[in-house]
Amino acid sequence: MARKIRQAAVIGSGVMGGGIAALLASAGIKTLLLDIVPPDIKADAKNDPKARNRIVAAGLENVRKARPAALMHPKEIELITIGNMEDDFDRLADADWIVEVVVENLKIKQDLLKRVEKVRKATAIVSSNTSGIPLKSMSAGLSSGFKQHFLGTHFFNPVRYMKLLEIIPGEETLPEVLQFMADFGERKLGKGIVWAKDTPNFIGNRIGTQSMARTMQLVVEEGLTVPEVDALFGPAMGRPKTAMFKTTDLVGLDIMVHVARNTYDLVEDDEARDSFVLPDFVNNMMEKKLLGNKTKAGFYKTELTPEWKKIRKVIDLKTLEYSTYDAPEFPCLAAARKAATDEEKMQAMVFGDDKGSRFVWRAVAENLIYAANRIPEIADTIVEVDNAMRWGFGMERGPFEGWDLMGVARVVERMEKDGLKVPDKIKKMLSAGNANFYKVEGGKRFFYDFATESYKPIEASPTMISLEMLKADNKVVMGNASATLVDLGDGVFCAEFHTKMNSLNDQIIEFLEKAHDYVDANGVGLVIGNQAGGMPGAFSAGADLRQVREAAGAGAFAEIEASIKRLQGAIQHSRYCPYPVVAAPFGLALGGGCEICLGVDRIVAHAELYMGQVEIGVGLLPGGTGCSALWRKVLENIPESVGELELTKFFISVFQAIAMAKVSTSAAEARATGFLGPKDRIVFNRDHLIGEAKKEVLRMVEDGYTPPVKRPLRVFGEAAIGIVNAELLNMQAAGYVSEYDAYLVRRIAGVIGGGQSRTGGYMSEDALLALERDTFVDLLRQEKTIARIDHMLKTGKPLRN
Amino acid sequence: MKEAYIVSAVRTPGCKRAKGAFKDTLPLDLLSFILKSSVEKIPQLDPRDIDDVMVGCAFPEAEQGLNIGRNASKLAGFPDKVSGATVNRFCASGLEAIADSALRIISGWADVTIGAGIESMTYVPMGGNMPRPYPPADEEEIKLFIAMGTTAENVANRYNITREQQDEFAYHSQMKAANAQKNGLYTEIVPTPATRFAAQANGTFKRETFLQDFDDGVRADTTVEGLAKLRPAFSLTGSVTAGNSSQTTDGAAAAVLMSAEKVKALGIKPIAKFKLFTTVGCRSDEMGVGPRYAIPKLLDKAGLTIDDIGLWEINEAFASQALYCIRELGLEKYMDRINVNGGAIALGHPLGCTGAKLCATLLANMQARGAKYGVESMCIGGGMGAAALFELCE
Repeated sequence: MARKIRQAAVIGSGVMGGGIAALLASAGIKTLLLDIVPPDIKADAKNDPKARNRIVAAGLENVRKARPAALMHPKEIELITIGNMEDDFDRLADADWIVEVVVENLKIKQDLLKRVEKVRKATAIVSSNTSGIPLKSMSAGLSSGFKQHFLGTHFFNPVRYMKLLEIIPGEETLPEVLQFMADFGERKLGKGIVWAKDTPNFIGNRIGTQSMARTMQLVVEEGLTVPEVDALFGPAMGRPKTAMFKTTDLVGLDIMVHVARNTYDLVEDDEARDSFVLPDFVNNMMEKKLLGNKTKAGFYKTELTPEWKKIRKVIDLKTLEYSTYDAPEFPCLAAARKAATDEEKMQAMVFGDDKGSRFVWRAVAENLIYAANRIPEIADTIVEVDNAMRWGFGMERGPFEGWDLMGVARVVERMEKDGLKVPDKIKKMLSAGNANFYKVEGGKRFFYDFATESYKPIEASPTMISLEMLKADNKVVMGNASATLVDLGDGVFCAEFHTKMNSLNDQIIEFLEKAHDYVDANGVGLVIGNQAGGMPGAFSAGADLRQVREAAGAGAFAEIEASIKRLQGAIQHSRYCPYPVVAAPFGLALGGGCEICLGVDRIVAHAELYMGQVEIGVGLLPGGTGCSALWRKVLENIPESVGELELTKFFISVFQAIAMAKVSTSAAEARATGFLGPKDRIVFNRDHLIGEAKKEVLRMVEDGYTPPVKRPLRVFGEAAIGIVNAELLNMQAAGYVSEYDAYLVRRIAGVIGGGQSRTGGYMSEDALLALERDTFVDLLRQEKTIARIDHMLKTGKPLRN
Repeated sequence: MKEAYIVSAVRTPGCKRAKGAFKDTLPLDLLSFILKSSVEKIPQLDPRDIDDVMVGCAFPEAEQGLNIGRNASKLAGFPDKVSGATVNRFCASGLEAIADSALRIISGWADVTIGAGIESMTYVPMGGNMPRPYPPADEEEIKLFIAMGTTAENVANRYNITREQQDEFAYHSQMKAANAQKNGLYTEIVPTPATRFAAQANGTFKRETFLQDFDDGVRADTTVEGLAKLRPAFSLTGSVTAGNSSQTTDGAAAAVLMSAEKVKALGIKPIAKFKLFTTVGCRSDEMGVGPRYAIPKLLDKAGLTIDDIGLWEINEAFASQALYCIRELGLEKYMDRINVNGGAIALGHPLGCTGAKLCATLLANMQARGAKYGVESMCIGGGMGAAALFELCE
């Protein structure tokens, strides 16, 4: 049987259920969303379908309004149909996958699954998104046929943005079903799959909650303040900026408490069971409803002064009073800032002898021991645990990856000195001469497997190409300090940028020229992409503004022009060279990063794409082909059969994208704005991006690729100037734009329209590029543009002068 | 010089652009229907005697293009020999068409003419389908193409018309209209066939017709407090809102004009004499002040004062400009003579139709109240004012 998910159903329309439905809809899957008929429905509304669907309709409305957005494009909500669990339950018969996300109550879930068993089609997969209730209790008493198709699929909140999907096999789940769901989750939904077991709170929440609860106990023991803990357990330790307490405010203290208590109740044999007992301040905060953002006060709260200024205050854990605070400082933090490598940074944080570092050590050491002791109880390998912590909690690395950085032996030594009980399997590993949990050999990553007491390769789908591994395997062909050309095999090469935020500079331009020469001589096609970390990460956040500013300051305008011309040349070459070029953007693709993408034959984009041309914010316009390329991209998709179309609407869409510095919040939105065309592809799993881009290159080669012919473009001409002048008159009067905004907008309109030319006439691409380039350089001569650039460099924020 | 009499003046209801009752009704249908209706009011009149049909339209393109004046005359069932033209003076187009028709009679060139107006703002949006402001325009010249909302803000700012005044004026417009609707005072309206595309069971649509007999933008539940909550529509810090601006609507109106000889020959009792028409230019970026200059010019030529005028129809393009003109003309003491059944804020301003529409409304009210003189006036995009004087026939 060729399994497919033609239709899915989500039962329960709360935050998680709505989030799952939104992700499915964003992935193009028709989804039925069900919830209960309101228990308090009035007698006279009993037959009113609207009243009966009130709860699920509210759930859908929350999906529509969620910020950050749950849907990748507002239109996708059309794929979600709603219903209630009494009138529409039979519609579940059409679903190929039914996921229940109802309240965490065993009896309710059992009753629900009994009903589902009766209506589901024989092949339908049924899963539970529970985090705390054992699957075997839920499915007890159900048929074998049901159990063979029943598993746990545990998403994390917010579903669209958190990469982790824990898959938990049930007692009898068919391997084919498990494999299908793992593949579906990975490729269609873009999730990172972690194989968990049917143990309390699975992997992520088990390890994560132990860490949080135990850290909170230690906060009391060591007498630290909330901001101190957040300073220590933030980016300095490779964790999100929201660190511990701010994250708890986001998630909700009640949720955290629920998971901790639930775990405590279920893990009777756990050697560290007591670490799930939350300290008194948590209980006191629960009583006072200080639950975090949802109650407007948690560990932090934001107050507004009468002048509408925001003041951030933090709680005193003893008195539960709020007061203002300064950024805390510890010697270990200062040392970490100075560290050159991740190892040094980690060691500075853990092995320092100040109060902060001692606290970090205790919290971390106990969590490492706890995690090691949970294998194989909750997961078969350390890889599952590390992945769960990275993908589910936005950490840069999981416990074992962190342990490697600290030095496994050094940590063990200190643990023993402190009288902590080091797990035997760790001692064994060390005494056998295995100093690390992970190692890289021959372009492959290996992990230490406790079960076989040996290193085993980490298996991944062939589409998951890792540039890091290829580079470790001597696949670097050429490069410089800013970029590297990596051999992806099969004649396809990858141009990888690795500057700060992957912004473009002169080195990258030079590299691109040489890389093209190399690929032309030795390859069949080129991928432009990289695998920079971070959430959402940066494909390329633009041009190196400092370099531009320095050149302008030195009056080197001729050099700037030459440099822009070179950039234009390199980008144009990626379109007109005799082999296919595919860009693989993800995360930020701004300014020059966007221009790179607009120039190539095809874009294979990650679904989370923040693409835009934001140059006006620094008083410039896209100068490296961005204006003419977006215009070309929009025009080239007009069918030839319609003839010479009236251009106004095309002009306005391109003009607004650039003049309003529109940045997409997803690839779907980038398509709606015109940055992505109909042939460009969207890939949900970022780890597949380079692999899919390579496949795209090979497909184009296979299809007998020939480059597009360079033809003159039809331009909007002088009509652009008239339209924009008239509109600016109103915008300026309305106070929407400053005088200099208006000036910049006029210049941009002039460039997109092709300057002083006939409306509907034709111009060569080279002429349009010259116009774009000259205007860019001319703007750099304007005082107010320089002021905008300086302000951006200094504050990171745009100046509206 | 001969005298021109209006013997019939009618209008369709005004219905909200894009969502109102006429959203699927073609402008040709609205116009040909009202032309036919205006003639049917005069059973003695043989359509073969109509000399010419002048139709005002602010954006005569697309569905309103290709000389809708001529085409609608044919669709109205008039004989081939009845000619037709389209006339454009933006918001005064309908009044211009009536004045041009009157001139044919006054000059002795014709005995029977029709002046009319049409605008489907649904089919052809304000500004037209393809606006093309003059590219070489300098800073001053570009103001010819300014948005109307911006001019309304300019009038409010330059001449101190407050938000509260505008909202109060808007409120009264709505209340007067609601009252008139309730009491059946819009005797000039002819129930008009409207089109709708009715969804069929299989997803296709079927063209159907229904009768529309009321202006569908009137809000009887408007409150001053509600109006005060609306955001400025044209400026961050402005005072002009959707609530104190005219509504954009679809509609058509027509007036039949005759010479004294023809009136006598057919034995008709005319409604009013078309006495005088005038236009005047002003600054483009405050076009709303137009009536403040057009009206004194008109009264001066007629040898009348404001005190002689029993009823006024001063188009409410925006409350700010209407209030400014009323104040400057010294008309505040005659508020009970101005737009007595509400104005464009409640009833809509279908651009090129408005001149003919206000004529029908003014004449109906003059008859109902026995007002001897009535004045119709409006501001005009680009910076102009127009005004016309009517004298009731005893």
